[in-house]
Amino acid sequence: MLNKSRLLLLFLLIGFAIIIASPEGLLSGAFSFPLQTQQLTKLSDKTTNTPFAIFEPNTLRMNLGCEPPSLDWTRATDAASFDVIANIMVGLTKYTDNLSSAPSCAQSWDITDNGKCYTFHLRPDIHWSDGKLLTAHDFEYAWKRLLDPQTAAPYAFFLYDIKNAFAYNQGQIKDPNKLGCRAIDDHTFVVHLNRPIAYFLYLTSFCPTFPQRQDIIERYGNNWTNPGHLISNGPFILKKWQHEYKIELAANPSYYGQAPSLQTVKMFMIPEQSTAFALYENNQLDCIDNRSFPTSEIEKYRKSENQHGEYREISLLRVSYIGFNIDKKPFDDVKVRQAFAFGIDRERLCRILRHGEKPLASLIPQPLLGSVPFQSAQSYNPQLAKKLLSQAGYPDGKNFPQTFLLYPHREDTRLLVEAIQDELKRNLNIHVDLLNQEWQVYLQTLRNNTPPMYRYAWGADYPDPDTFMNLFTAHNGNNNTHWSNKQYDLLVNQAGCEANPQKRAQLYKQADNLLCKEAAPIIPINTAAQNLLVKPWVRGISANQLDLQFFSNVKVGN
Amino acid sequence: MLKLIVKRILLLIPLLWLIATLTFFLLRVLPGGPFDSEKNLPPEIMANLQAKYHLDKPLPQQYCYYIQRLSKGDLGISYKYLDRSVNDILASAFPVSLTLGIAALCIAITVGIPLGIFAAINKDNAIDAACIGIATLGVSLPGFVIGALLIFVFGIWLKLLPVALWESGWHIILPALTLAAGPTAYLARLTRTSMLDALNKDWVRTARLKGQSYWQTILKHVLRNALVPIITVLGPLSAILITGSFTVEYIYAVPGMGRFFITAVSNRDYDLVLGTTLIFSVLLVIANTIVDILYHVLDPRIEITD
Repeated sequence: MLNKSRLLLLFLLIGFAIIIASPEGLLSGAFSFPLQTQQLTKLSDKTTNTPFAIFEPNTLRMNLGCEPPSLDWTRATDAASFDVIANIMVGLTKYTDNLSSAPSCAQSWDITDNGKCYTFHLRPDIHWSDGKLLTAHDFEYAWKRLLDPQTAAPYAFFLYDIKNAFAYNQGQIKDPNKLGCRAIDDHTFVVHLNRPIAYFLYLTSFCPTFPQRQDIIERYGNNWTNPGHLISNGPFILKKWQHEYKIELAANPSYYGQAPSLQTVKMFMIPEQSTAFALYENNQLDCIDNRSFPTSEIEKYRKSENQHGEYREISLLRVSYIGFNIDKKPFDDVKVRQAFAFGIDRERLCRILRHGEKPLASLIPQPLLGSVPFQSAQSYNPQLAKKLLSQAGYPDGKNFPQTFLLYPHREDTRLLVEAIQDELKRNLNIHVDLLNQEWQVYLQTLRNNTPPMYRYAWGADYPDPDTFMNLFTAHNGNNNTHWSNKQYDLLVNQAGCEANPQKRAQLYKQADNLLCKEAAPIIPINTAAQNLLVKPWVRGISANQLDLQFFSNVKVGN
Repeated sequence: MLKLIVKRILLLIPLLWLIATLTFFLLRVLPGGPFDSEKNLPPEIMANLQAKYHLDKPLPQQYCYYIQRLSKGDLGISYKYLDRSVNDILASAFPVSLTLGIAALCIAITVGIPLGIFAAINKDNAIDAACIGIATLGVSLPGFVIGALLIFVFGIWLKLLPVALWESGWHIILPALTLAAGPTAYLARLTRTSMLDALNKDWVRTARLKGQSYWQTILKHVLRNALVPIITVLGPLSAILITGSFTVEYIYAVPGMGRFFITAVSNRDYDLVLGTTLIFSVLLVIANTIVDILYHVLDPRIEITD
């Protein structure tokens, strides 16, 4: 009996060994895998050395990572939604590659009344995907809808500088016709501002301000973003939306610009990083980014030279910082905050994170106006940090009260705060406890009962220093430090309305010096980066520092 | 039997009400709300949002409003996926989970139970050890490890099966195997124990003495008696399998409803959490009712009473 069963086991093992040992032979020959044979082209490109490279001609396959919560551009707030919207819609202006504003639906504009009145002249030849002409009334409708309290659009604040916009959104003014944005005729759109904000043309390049079709939204109500209902004016149209799985875009034949070479864009919603990465390696995705790119693999691709230039890295306008609650001891003492700032080696932190993060000396990331290039010697100085700490009454960290750093429950954040804990121990002989909370709980704690130290990040809404510097003005809802400074507020407001770029940069530098050096309620740590992998048969992917990817110029094929 | 079904349905109504009430209030105790995000909204905008979704009303009023809608079969709306109702979301996700769950259930039953029988009749020798070894492995390896292993072997290495996604029949195989691994092992162990229990009974010897063949005795008498505890666990097990698994759906990018049990809570998507909880409760009650009926079929001595 025993011998029989041993024999059986041996047979099983031999069989298993045969199966394992024949990856390309016995088994894969027996079955033909249906997915790879249909409509797929085999590419045997000598230059790329990838004999098994497989792609679908004129189709781009990418990963959104999750279901876009909404394709209604007036109400969308998140990266997945914007990735779709930015490819199906165009606004009055658009971003160029170096992040300035270029004409799009508006072919020109006049700025009058000392920068407080914008008159946009629309191109007469732009049509929606159903053939209807795009008019200035579509913009008027969209902007009024954005500001309507009934819409409850999170990005309504984008247009708060328009005359009466704030009062209307708050419900104090009921009549939308009192708003300072109006279509004079089909091709002229006029906007009156309360103050001459210098970055207004950036706002008109971003999704929440794109035009909308009153007739469509009224006809379909809440279902207007479904495929078949959704009408757009960009290079692509929404063809298919399988919730939690895939969105398919098709080229828009009535797009006013050059017709895209891609016929289809498949946007999968694969939540698991390693799965998406395996699909990329198996040639079932054509391009992936951080959402699908495990850290360990980034390192491998960055170093490897024979990966056909698949890897690229884009620095983002996204800043990560450590904030202090300046009402809580010991951080009510500016010297302690400064000591912490000088006691943390930000370059080392970036080396630990390994996503292409860059150390930061100011809250304004490069290349924005007023940004200061990072110089290690000016930001990291353990001797000075120790001196400041003993001036504050804690020589060599003695008698330093117990304190903690709060951070959200995420892997990369944990790495960062552990490194900071280590830096503070080594350089200042101070032990800081680490406390993590689930994301929504963390946000609630941060806002209602700000901890002594916390880790936070901010992504730019528009490529202007204002989106960052505004955060620490006294009444901003995102200023959790409890720090307020009249001079800082004055400088930021002044800079926001300054037309001369040199003067603006100077004002922002002054404000930044106040924030990051003199008062130090925060320590800017690093900017984030987007890590892309693009297959050799894909050309023309353009991703910008606002983390938007545009597919209108992409070509897939030999 | 009809009486039992009617009784269970009548009982379901107060049960669902109790579950809905408990879940509703427990959720509101959780810190954080559906509209908290990295970019804190100006108070004016937050007020508009709260008003739009009636979250500005006092809690008892919100509760009455919810129960009112629920009684009409409306599970509410999602705060995260704008303009999608919970009914919509679950209606599109449930068929996927159902397909995958049934496939996994079939694997678990057709592999797990024979494995257990095989182990029991070969008690204490190498085959038993091998069967139980496999079962122990299946129980102790978490889904994400088995999933990653299967993806690596069949998707990346052998290139036999798709790595992930939900496109054709081929795409069901790996997720179904991953989902089935735990239950298969569990069923095998349970079958073995319960078979061994039955094998020691006097009536086994009697049946053999009367001239029944070995396999006839095993399948007709021993297995039939051993099935009662197995059927008991199959009830809740099928309810769990057909409502999907977060892990399997995540690693294979399958658009099922298992993910919502986790993500809806972390998004504080109140109505969606309630929706998934209620659906699961209904399925559990249905499965248990079927189990009760099967008891009677297996062993007529067990009467259907309630």
